[in-house]
Amino acid sequence: MGILPDGLFTLQGLWFLLAGVFLIGYSITDGFDLGSAFPMIFMKKEHDRIALYNSVAPVWDGNEVWLIAGGGMLFAAFPTVYAASFSGFYIAILLVLWALIGRAVAFEYRNKRESMVWRHTFDFIYWLGNVLPAILFGVAVGNAVVGVPIDKDAVYHGTFFTLLRPVPLAMGLVSFFMFAMHGAAYLLLKTEGSVFEMAKKYAGISVVGYVVSVILTNVLAMAEAPYLYKNYFTYPILFAIPLLMFVGVVLYVYLLKAGKYDKVVYASGLVNAFTVLNVACASFPVLMRSSINPEYSLTVFNASSSTLTLTVMLIVTIIFMPIVLFYTRYAYKVFSGKVSGEKSYY
Amino acid sequence: MVDLLDLSRFQFAFTAINHFIYVPLTLGLSVFIAIVKTIAYKTKDPKYDKLAMFLMKLFAVNFAAGVATGLTMEFEFGTNWFTYSKFVGDIFGAPLAIEGLMAFFLESTFIGIFLFGKDRISDGMHTFSAWMVALGSNLSALWILIANSWMQTPAGYKIVQTPQGIRAELTNFWEAVINHTTVIRFLHTVTAGQITAGFFVMGVMAYFLLRNKNVDMAKAGLKVALIFTAIVSVAEIIIGDTAGHLVAEYQPLKLAMMEGKWKTEQPASLDVFGYVDQSAQKTYPFIKIPGLLSFLAYHNFDAKVYGIKDLITMYDQKAQSYANEANMLKAQYASNPNPALKDKIVADEAYAKAYNISSKDLPPINLVFMPFHIMVGLGFFFAFVTLWGLYLYKKGTIYQNKAFLKTVLYSIPLPFIASELGWMTAEIGRQPWIVTGVLKTADAVSFNTTSNVMFSVITFVTIYTLLFYVYVTTMIKKVREYEDVKPISSTVPSPSGVSIGLTANRTDLNDNNRIS
Ligand code: HDD
Ligand code: HEM
Ligand code: HEM
Repeated sequence: MGILPDGLFTLQGLWFLLAGVFLIGYSITDGFDLGSAFPMIFMKKEHDRIALYNSVAPVWDGNEVWLIAGGGMLFAAFPTVYAASFSGFYIAILLVLWALIGRAVAFEYRNKRESMVWRHTFDFIYWLGNVLPAILFGVAVGNAVVGVPIDKDAVYHGTFFTLLRPVPLAMGLVSFFMFAMHGAAYLLLKTEGSVFEMAKKYAGISVVGYVVSVILTNVLAMAEAPYLYKNYFTYPILFAIPLLMFVGVVLYVYLLKAGKYDKVVYASGLVNAFTVLNVACASFPVLMRSSINPEYSLTVFNASSSTLTLTVMLIVTIIFMPIVLFYTRYAYKVFSGKVSGEKSYY
Repeated sequence: MVDLLDLSRFQFAFTAINHFIYVPLTLGLSVFIAIVKTIAYKTKDPKYDKLAMFLMKLFAVNFAAGVATGLTMEFEFGTNWFTYSKFVGDIFGAPLAIEGLMAFFLESTFIGIFLFGKDRISDGMHTFSAWMVALGSNLSALWILIANSWMQTPAGYKIVQTPQGIRAELTNFWEAVINHTTVIRFLHTVTAGQITAGFFVMGVMAYFLLRNKNVDMAKAGLKVALIFTAIVSVAEIIIGDTAGHLVAEYQPLKLAMMEGKWKTEQPASLDVFGYVDQSAQKTYPFIKIPGLLSFLAYHNFDAKVYGIKDLITMYDQKAQSYANEANMLKAQYASNPNPALKDKIVADEAYAKAYNISSKDLPPINLVFMPFHIMVGLGFFFAFVTLWGLYLYKKGTIYQNKAFLKTVLYSIPLPFIASELGWMTAEIGRQPWIVTGVLKTADAVSFNTTSNVMFSVITFVTIYTLLFYVYVTTMIKKVREYEDVKPISSTVPSPSGVSIGLTANRTDLNDNNRIS
């Protein structure tokens, strides 16, 4: 037995890592949008609200593509998992979808009328469109790793309420606060004046929330899903991951206290990446656990696509991923600097 | 009583039709704007820059709606078509993923730069980003049509058993990608988008001319759009004809439904317009042209065109022979358990199930027959209108000809309708299969409760209806607003100071706020 889990360096194992890369890419980029929107409903001034929109307006659509591409990757590499999770979590998935639709529409149409009723309606849609996914992503991932009633054909036997169990719900809180930390850090980077002041407080609250919900999740998981700790004790090197997650949190607090506001976002990025990796580590090689019979669990080995498909997709990813990263970086560079609420982008 | 399958179909059809309200304009207008922007960049003529920027605002409104509705499509395969996703994911997932990686990232990133970056980047870079948006959206059309064409005319796969059931596996990537119909269906669809954009721009310019507003820009815009649209409208007829041949060759049942042919004919007449009485299995055409269908479908006046009834019998015979072969192989397998044999049995059984169809499984044929003929009719109408326009342009009277200007103005919705009708032909005509000859739609649906799907159907109908309303009113408002706008260099006043458009008022920053 090696120091890392068996099978991690097979083609399927690589795809597991790539799935992780997409999740991390999504949580870091779209995390800016999700997290920065939460303070919306606490803001009274039109000017401040517009600053929130402006901070992400030129890049949000590109950020969201991480989710779209990630979904496509899941479909291509692990079709059964895509099918089982999307159809099984039907109502939850559609809530996320409608939330994202609302968010996209709010961006474009909010400022097309002068009416404050019109605008505040869209602000609320926008807020919900960010909060709901932020929580539900955690709940969905939590369910997949903790286990859901799927049979040997990967058919889901449960309802929406089957998904609302303690551990996954606690993981929903973790993802919410994780995005909140990240969004707050982004606002510290992008805004000034009253929004900036608010972001400072917001960052402090969210890091506390994050730590509390991580502890809560672990307490619940130790009682209800001890199998999630097996990998760590079999391969102790994996403890490095939660450790780095912790380092991220400490760094975040330090940077905040030291007033290095333009650097906080690196710490929250670290927290994002290692939170995702942590969940991946706990679960490997299972992608979706069956609570009916562990034999029915969908793993990277029994639920993956054919070798040919995985190889083709690997080549495509290796070619296009760097290109994507290159122009994404360019876009962020073009729009670097603080935004104001004076003029709306849209 | 509605059942799960009907509801799921309704939801898919409804959401797809809604997505495709916005898609053609994105596809075509992105290319058109890039062309205008390039002319502006080359000539430094302000009226082209003004045109490009005006169209950009309309584009942004449309794009957002396209993105919002596109997300649904991506999710829906998993949520509502569980068995389908599991069955074809190995092949179908790849183009979807590549679409995200290769096209959506490009499109979505550069749209941000293009819409909001004008005062932060050079004019050359701005022109470049217009082309990247056009490239991205058209690449996305390419990959999604690869996926869709594979469902229409599958190739490059084999059927195997996996731990969670049977599925189709990729055997040859390029065969699956460039399957029998990909290329022509891609060309047909993007050309449709260009016609849509062409008529849209012509219509809006005509509106300005009729009201005597923005005259310089409107004349320039009308001219460029007219030339552009004339070319693509004529090309579309030729491309559409080729699409028809491929249907005849690879999807004879679809051809029979498109033409309302119940009985095999040799030579076959072309029955234009009319209606189909499905229960009596008869078609009542208004016009009947002997021999023409044989010619159109096979370029031979004597060719045989199979009718629906005979095709069903033929498919049933096929199903029977697959079933027989499967039984025979099973007997062999009992004495000689060889894995290759096992795969063959699995495949034979899948085909036996797929080809076992009856006339009850047919979709409403009127929804194939009528849309098809109206689409073709509209195709000729578009070519006619643009040629008329070219004639008036040569005569030099086009900008004053009220009849022409009104025609193009009121024609704005027609290309949108033609595209929807085309998709109805293609998709409903493919039924009863979701993957032609491999998997029936009825066997593809998710295990779900009717109440869940009922709930989602109602929500989609509500959200999309609101979206459509907001979309149309905002588009009209944007066009109207522009009537009163002064030339580009002056600032646009806005009551609250925040709802100013995208870039018109930002040109003053152009020189000192640049990055490169
Ligand atoms: C022939 C063209 C075409 C067709 C048949 C489809 N789409 Fe589409 N789609 C586009 C052409 C397009 C586009 C032109 O690229 C859009 C429309 C508006 C836009 O912004 O991009 C788009 C947007 C769009 C988006 C949002 C992308 C973003 O955020 O930038 C997604 C996720 C999808 N589509 C997915 C789908 C799926 C899964 C389809 C199949 C059922 C589908 N589309 C049919
Ligand atoms: C955006 C343009 C499209 C439109 C307007 C459209 C329209 C439709 C319609 C009207 C149906 C209903 C057929 C029926 O119920 O009998 C349908 C079915 C279907 N289409 Fe499309 N389609 C489009 C694109 C696509 C693409 C690109 C794909 C695949 C990549 C696709 C996959 C399907 C599937 C899976 C069904 C089966 C479900 C059903 O029968 O309702 N469609 N589509
Ligand atoms: C006059 C000429 C035309 C002919 C002969 C023609 C022919 C066809 C045929 C045979 C199909 C079915 C292809 C299939 O099922 O795979 C089709 C589909 C379609 N048509 Fe047309 N068409 C014409 C004009 C138009 C126009 C003017 C538009 C829109 C502006 C349009 C938009 C579409 C679309 C979007 C589809 C579905 C996508 C596809 O299957 O390629 N068509 N057309």
